[in-house]
Amino acid sequence: MLIDSPVANTANIARALRAAGAELQITSDPETIARADKLVLPGVGSFAAAMRWLIEHRIDAAIRDAVNGGASLLGICVGHQLLFDVSFEMGTTRGLGLIGGEVRKFEGRLPVPQIGWNRVAARGPLFEGVENSVFYFVNSYAASNASAEIARADYGGAFTAAVQNGRVFGVQFHPEKSSAAGLQVLRNFVAWK
Amino acid sequence: MEVIPSLDLLAGRVVRLTHGEFSTAKVYGEPEAVLAALDVPRGTRLHVVDLEASRSGRPVETRIVERLAQRDLIVQVGGGIRSIDDAQRWFDCGAERIVVGTIAADSPALLASLVDTFGAKRIVPAVDIRNGVIRVAGWEREATASIEDVFARLEALGIPETLVTDISHDGALRGPSFRLYRELAKLSSIRIIASGGVSTISDVVSLARHRNISGCVIGKALLERRIDLGDALVRVAMPNAIPERVIPCLDVRDGRVVKGVNFVNIRDAGDPVECARRYEEEGADEIVILDISATDANRQTALDTVRRVADSLFIPLTVGGGIRTVEDFRAMLRAGADRVAINTAALRNPQLIADCASEFGVQAVVLSCDAKDGRVMVRSGKEEGDIDAVEWCRRAEALGAGEILLTSVNRDGTGSGFDIKLLRAVTSVLKIGVIASGGAGRLEDFRDAIESGGARAVLAASLFHDRVLTVGDVKRYLAEEGIPVR
Repeated sequence: MLIDSPVANTANIARALRAAGAELQITSDPETIARADKLVLPGVGSFAAAMRWLIEHRIDAAIRDAVNGGASLLGICVGHQLLFDVSFEMGTTRGLGLIGGEVRKFEGRLPVPQIGWNRVAARGPLFEGVENSVFYFVNSYAASNASAEIARADYGGAFTAAVQNGRVFGVQFHPEKSSAAGLQVLRNFVAWK
Repeated sequence: MEVIPSLDLLAGRVVRLTHGEFSTAKVYGEPEAVLAALDVPRGTRLHVVDLEASRSGRPVETRIVERLAQRDLIVQVGGGIRSIDDAQRWFDCGAERIVVGTIAADSPALLASLVDTFGAKRIVPAVDIRNGVIRVAGWEREATASIEDVFARLEALGIPETLVTDISHDGALRGPSFRLYRELAKLSSIRIIASGGVSTISDVVSLARHRNISGCVIGKALLERRIDLGDALVRVAMPNAIPERVIPCLDVRDGRVVKGVNFVNIRDAGDPVECARRYEEEGADEIVILDISATDANRQTALDTVRRVADSLFIPLTVGGGIRTVEDFRAMLRAGADRVAINTAALRNPQLIADCASEFGVQAVVLSCDAKDGRVMVRSGKEEGDIDAVEWCRRAEALGAGEILLTSVNRDGTGSGFDIKLLRAVTSVLKIGVIASGGAGRLEDFRDAIESGGARAVLAASLFHDRVLTVGDVKRYLAEEGIPVR
């Protein structure tokens, strides 16, 4: 089930998920979301705007209910960042708290945002077959050294490219723009039990 | 690869000479003050040249070398060293290595006795090359031995590292002599400290990608603040971390891919969806669609093409052509573009760049700049604007462009190679990336645009449409040449 929101590139992700074999339902209804067994949370733009939208539509609670009820969840880009405890993008904003850690601006000397392909060293079921591949990123903020880190990349300093805490997954890159490697990650999530 | 700041010393100060003339010395100050201003970390190797010694033949700035060595800096020093005694004097001051020029090429016996006395690791021969020939004695005359002979001799002596300067590139804006370093890699296993022509961060990264290059001496570019040492050290630590991109471009008119030379003589080249899908399969990192006939009348056709292509791709899509307003920009994003290129409209109204950047984020904004003889062209290359291309790109970056798509109108469709001079002029003053466009004809052109031009992506159209080369060919070639690709 794909969470539809005005602060996400829902159409592109839907297309990629279908190509990865998902039978997809696209919704922003909290009750439907709470009953889902598999959820994808996309997001672009600012963390604060995305979180505000989740709260206003009671989707934050619905996501937590679904995960507590045994659903698996994949956050993408800002959707991945929303899983964390807190972000420091434009002030301090609390996230969903499903993954321990903080989202901060890149502090290195490279231009921000990072726009483009970057090599990711990964492990675990989400990256089966693409443990050392290149994915497409567009981000100015990222977590680093997250305890749930399953993938890492470097942009003037190491950052967390993906996380897993039990059934909860997040990827900082855009799998829907990462060609075959991205589709493989989505396929792995679709197949994950 | 080690980044080695270079300090030329004269009368106790750091200076730069023009064409080796002492009367032209530009003074930068006391060495310690210069090192502090450049943020040179402890433990850094410095390349110190005692200019007075190179003129008089006797070590002069020994106190300075002593001071630097005591500050935890590793000093390699050169300047007129012509005897065992000279060398001993420098080592007594704390120099780690000595750099020898003329004798390296012309006095094999003395070189051998230096190696015998101090060990091969403490001697750095400096070889200055112009047009394939070694020059000695302040570049005044040709060496008696050939490059092949000199390198064979150095190898026989067990010399691990040699400083190589391509004189024709030194101080010039052409960048380092990558071709020379490639030839030397075939000739000898001696590692090279590259010197001369290094003027941008991208030069430093490109050098670090060469397996036979172990060091890079930077003088003027650091002193003139064209290269920030901290930035260079970060990039050099992982020169292959970020892959460079290969981008096929679809020039689209009325829903069909077309191609033309210098923007005229347009011919049909196929269906955009089929082309784009084939390119993704071949390994394209991104697709660019330029609607070259964009007028209000066929606006909907263009949007429909973008929608169809976006629906068939799983890589980023950049779209340009006829974008005049924030609403045009939004419509392209809604149709499935990830990024939108603005051209003519931004020249008429530069604020459009800033407005789109704040509305959609800088990552979505690409400035498309068509340059002819260094000037910006407008209306699909039909009209000359009145602004300098470098200046315009710099301004676009300040306004919020996330990347520049830089097309040489002179080279477009000619297959005679990307305009490296134009690329260097732009990439050397920008932080954001530049996509090189116009002129791709051979595999080497793609390498040179990245390596010498500093481009972060290379774009071609007809070369790929005509299947002269495939995207896969280009990516395999770049990888073989040491340039990281996806």
